[in-house]
Amino acid sequence: MSILEKLENVERRYIYLLAWVFVLFPLLFPLGLPIPIGRESKAWKEYIENIPSDSTIIVSMDYGVSGMPELYPMTVATMHHLWTDTASKNFKIVVIASWNQGPLVFDTLLDQMNPASTYGVVYGEDWIELGWIPGSETGMAALATDMWSQTPKDFLENRPLSEYPIMENIKTAEDIDLVVSFETGTPGLPEWLRQWNTPYGTPFIVGCIGVSVPGMAPYLASGQLDALMPGLTASGEYEILIGRPGLAVSGLDAVSMSHLLVVLLVVVGNIAFFASKSKGVN
Amino acid sequence: MSEKLRSIEIPIIITAICTLLQVIPYYFNIPVIDQASAIERDWMLLIVNMAVFVGVISIGQVHGRKIMRRRDNWEYSVVLMVALIIMAITGLPIESIGLGLDNPIYNFLFINVMTPLGSTMYSILAFFITSAAYRAFRARNIEAALILVSGTIVVMSNAPLFTSSLPFLITWKNWIFDVPNTATMRGVMMGAALGAIALAVRTLMGIERGYLRGGGAD
Amino acid sequence: MSLMTLLPIWAAVFFTLAIYSFLYGENPWFRFAEHVYAGVSVGYAVAFNLDYLRDQWVNRWSMSGGMAVLYLFALAMGLLWYARFNKKYFFLYRWTLAIVVGTGIGMALRTVVFTQFLDQIIAQARIPLFVSGDPLQSVSNILLTIMTPCVLLYFWFTGGARETGPMKHIAKIARYTIMAGFGAAYGYTVLTRFSLLIGRSQFLLGNPPNPPEAKMAFITIALVMLASLIGYDLLKPKNI
Repeated sequence: MSILEKLENVERRYIYLLAWVFVLFPLLFPLGLPIPIGRESKAWKEYIENIPSDSTIIVSMDYGVSGMPELYPMTVATMHHLWTDTASKNFKIVVIASWNQGPLVFDTLLDQMNPASTYGVVYGEDWIELGWIPGSETGMAALATDMWSQTPKDFLENRPLSEYPIMENIKTAEDIDLVVSFETGTPGLPEWLRQWNTPYGTPFIVGCIGVSVPGMAPYLASGQLDALMPGLTASGEYEILIGRPGLAVSGLDAVSMSHLLVVLLVVVGNIAFFASKSKGVN
Repeated sequence: MSEKLRSIEIPIIITAICTLLQVIPYYFNIPVIDQASAIERDWMLLIVNMAVFVGVISIGQVHGRKIMRRRDNWEYSVVLMVALIIMAITGLPIESIGLGLDNPIYNFLFINVMTPLGSTMYSILAFFITSAAYRAFRARNIEAALILVSGTIVVMSNAPLFTSSLPFLITWKNWIFDVPNTATMRGVMMGAALGAIALAVRTLMGIERGYLRGGGAD
Repeated sequence: MSLMTLLPIWAAVFFTLAIYSFLYGENPWFRFAEHVYAGVSVGYAVAFNLDYLRDQWVNRWSMSGGMAVLYLFALAMGLLWYARFNKKYFFLYRWTLAIVVGTGIGMALRTVVFTQFLDQIIAQARIPLFVSGDPLQSVSNILLTIMTPCVLLYFWFTGGARETGPMKHIAKIARYTIMAGFGAAYGYTVLTRFSLLIGRSQFLLGNPPNPPEAKMAFITIALVMLASLIGYDLLKPKNI
């Protein structure tokens, strides 16, 4: 068997092993590569910085455990940014989830961030968690017309919404100034836009997994989507921009190395392909 | 009477009524229909939640049969049923006896079993995409070369290793995202929207009946 | 370190590695983890759905007699889902399904034409063909103006219609556009897949804020699992 044939028929387990090595090595021995800032993370930071005072913001956890490795770091960074500004800008933040695993994913975030002691935000006054909204697009539409009926109690303390001062002026989509959605798929932005943006004109910004990024392009170009956080690389850039390096930044060396591996494999694979093709022609 | 109740026209009429109940209030302000629409929408949410045991029963039928007949790998079916029962029972909304979403076992299973399993299940695809990059991503013709070149640029532009030394990659990626990608996705989206509207109209008129199939009748 | 602290970490590491063991080949660890995942996922949803039904009843629908009747009617309709398990009463299942399908279609139908069609046409029409002082942007805008309708027409016409008259050239432009556009999809898919792997690897290595104890569990369980996989392979009867 020639080298070319050997190259073309490498046992798949060796490639898997290479992938492991290229991911684990930079996590064990960080390379500290420089991280250039892209336009998306910059736009995301600027958008959040420019949210007007007294805004009421919905943060929607539209993902489950499968999306956590990519979306959790950007959720943490964005919540840090929002909660940091809450006192000075009097934000009202309502956390919901259109995916049923969203509330418990947010529990994980709360355990890590402890907003009351870290940011001094008061549950029920500055922010509240309403929990899961079932029914996908229908649930979103129902929430838009009557939030109190869809979630009569909050998720964390299980008490009626009437007991929380924050909910006094939050009844329908018309009371919401911005929706921040972190999402992995359906239900996600198209459903939100159909039930909230088109009928009520609610602005949206979305953080999504890389797979969903290309599909966001038309919404971004048309202005239906105001800002986009496209995957882990942009999350890392955003963590740097807000001065809070976290899981995304520490994973970027591994992103670099794994992507280097993919590029190398594509190049080697094509060289082997063309070499054996020309050999066949000869 | 029974035969009339079984007729396929009844669900078709129900579908049409429910569809119109949601569409009409969006364009016309008729308080009665508006109210009916809201109630029907809330019903739908309750009805969807009532389907919760359909999956459980289906799983019970498939795996119960497997266990009873001691088919190959029936032991794993026992594992599945036990995991399902423990998770479902500990999460039952009966807080007075310590069950519910705050139950420690339910939370333990979510954080330490479901979370690692869910996250890992999809991450395994990284290995397959790496293998595919090596074996299948070949410039066999112009179209394949185009996807290969633009794909490689986007892969490189997502890695700080490349963008820190070759900053023009970010500009190239932005162009691919803004021009061919937007054109493609916009075309796909508009085509899909037209398709969805056509399908909705066909369903509304009772021409599309695929969703009503099963049960040994048309 | 108490057992109660270590147990959750070791469990999470075990299930992570059990899934990765599939890379070695189909094996009992993976099958075990796969079945546990299916079980807990369904169980998780059961709890959340019942919680919603209870909350709705206690805090909303039980407030008045009329509302209670409406709630009970919805539950009765919901019970019809289970008619699908009986051939004789299967037709009742269709009624419930019709409510859900009809409402879903109505929800999407009322705004899809604006959100995913008209707003896109408007955005497309608003693209300025020439941007003064920026020839590259002008070229990009002209290309976008040509490419989008070509892609749309490509999806519209199928089969032989693509090979005749002007459609032949339109189809070619569309194919090239789609291929270049799908490059972005490929690139971002690679990012997602590796992000997930990196996330799990960070957990296994105990990188903060993950628990550092995971690292020891990772090494121990990985070695035991690998040894068992090799042993399983060697002991497995071979089909010659």
